Amino acid sequence: MVEFTEQAYDDMLEHAHDGVPHEICGVLAGDRDTGVVEDVVRVENVSDTPRTNYMMEPEKQLEAVDEVEEERGLDVVGFYHSHPEGPEHPSETDEARATWPDHTYVIVSLGPEEPWVGAWTWTGHEFLKQDVDVGGRGEN
Amino acid sequence: MKVTADVKNGDVHDVELADDAVYAELLDALGFNPEAAVVLVDGRPVPEDARVDAEDVVVMRTLSGG
Repeated sequence: MVEFTEQAYDDMLEHAHDGVPHEICGVLAGDRDTGVVEDVVRVENVSDTPRTNYMMEPEKQLEAVDEVEEERGLDVVGFYHSHPEGPEHPSETDEARATWPDHTYVIVSLGPEEPWVGAWTWTGHEFLKQDVDVGGRGEN
Repeated sequence: MKVTADVKNGDVHDVELADDAVYAELLDALGFNPEAAVVLVDGRPVPEDARVDAEDVVVMRTLSGG
């Protein structure tokens, strides 16, 4: 299970809304052992097709990872990105390009309904669905 | 030559390479597809076809999707 603090969850949703109509992306910072996400770090989406894809520039990705690990003393729990118009699951592209085994991939879907947040663990071969909780509320 | 590769959120590996090796060969030695990871030297990505001239590098799995 992934458990967001309310602040981290709200920051991630705000990032997703700010990015519309483009996808946004970032790093989930917290404790990998417990799955608690305490903070999110925004990373610019440099994809040439940002409405339907995301890409982190390696230099900026490294800066974000170092910020999480060295400056804040937290773990990289995983990563998040948005689907401004859905779907509420990893796309074929997400699966084809997944590279961080045993890390959490979170998707914020902003379809016509309320925002929906889903989380998956990339095993190295497939995405396994995880439960998502926010501040102990029991969200998804 | 020996290169120390800090794989982010992974392990640190000492890799022995030919003196004229390029960074793609370093990724290959570590088991990475060049499309799935990049080598950074002093925090900056280096081309995979560039000759290895650093003793300490960072290897970062790339992040992209749809």
